[in-house]
Amino acid sequence: MTTAIQPAGGGAGGGGSSSGLADVIDTILDKGLVIDAYARLSLVGIEIVSIDARVVVASVDTYLRFAQAVNRLQISETEPKGLPDLTGQAVRGAAKSKTQSALDAAGQKVSDFISQAQPEQQKATRVQSSREDK
Amino acid sequence: MTTSDQLGDQAQGTQRKSGIYVYGIVPADARVAEDARGVGDPPGKVEVIREGHVGALVSEVQLDRALGTPDDLQAHEQVLDSTASTAPVLPMRFGAVLTDADSVASEVLRDHHDEFAQALSELKGRAEYIVKGRYNENAILGEVLSENEQAQALRDDIRSKPEDASRDSQMALGEIISNAIETKRQADTQTVVSALEGVASHVNVRPPTHEYDATHIAVLAEIDRQSDVEQALNQLRENWGDRMQLRLLGPLAAYDFVVADAPGG
Repeated sequence: MTTAIQPAGGGAGGGGSSSGLADVIDTILDKGLVIDAYARLSLVGIEIVSIDARVVVASVDTYLRFAQAVNRLQISETEPKGLPDLTGQAVRGAAKSKTQSALDAAGQKVSDFISQAQPEQQKATRVQSSREDK
Repeated sequence: MTTSDQLGDQAQGTQRKSGIYVYGIVPADARVAEDARGVGDPPGKVEVIREGHVGALVSEVQLDRALGTPDDLQAHEQVLDSTASTAPVLPMRFGAVLTDADSVASEVLRDHHDEFAQALSELKGRAEYIVKGRYNENAILGEVLSENEQAQALRDDIRSKPEDASRDSQMALGEIISNAIETKRQADTQTVVSALEGVASHVNVRPPTHEYDATHIAVLAEIDRQSDVEQALNQLRENWGDRMQLRLLGPLAAYDFVVADAPGG
């Protein structure tokens, strides 16, 4: 076995905000050496809390959100403030409920994403499955 | 101050209530940052188990509670990153727990001593840096619209109709924007990679984690040349203006650049 210094391939998704935690999740999830590759006898399986990561999937929901963002852009540029802002909010709210199922469908477990992004890294199965359990 | 004996005594004999959490592999002379706080609640005391030229950053962890709270995740990264600026670190994936300190010393460190030592010497003086770019929504949408007449026509169509009647146009406009941003993301990512070519020895392009992500790249670079990395990014910031927000994280442990290659396990 060798431990090589080379790019490890794709990463895991993280929260959409720029908070510290999102950065941490982006950075450590599904990255680093897998302990199973080095120690089997004394391995302790510990439960790992489910960590859902946001994954960018182009979907109906994404498209509608982009279109609404363009609409807001127009309103703020060309209309007086006040009523149009309220209208914009109402439009967003209505569209949101319509696309709720699409939003749900777009949600993915990080493990799905990992297996999609890194099919070669079978070593991760222990951690992945414990994430799926919860 | 070898710690393996103390930790071993604590974990032995009784029903297993605690284990040894392994953060990563370091050179034997690496020191734990004074403010390092481990995973678990209360946070475990971070120590180094040494064997020959290599060591493992570890802390005792109670097994009666699942790992993975935000504090745990941040502790894992902080323990590794606080060491990364002073010594090379091979990070373990989150959640690595062994029965006791002796197992860490024998099964992990002794059995893989030479490959760890080799990998650590390759990493010496280098650390991971992450470059994250996020498009400014208004700026990038304006840019896409100004470059695409079809998108402008769709926008006008949407504005001229009630919302329900313009759904097809909304979908078409959204798709154009989604594709355009993807194209820009690839081009801008390539620009960042090219700008860092001289200072980065390895590059790992990460997938986007947000629809307005402009770039998400991990690079391995000499810690001594961090100012060159910063300078390259400052130049890009100047060129791009308010088009995107560009952030640099690091020095970090080499999360994106360690690979265990174990043929046949």
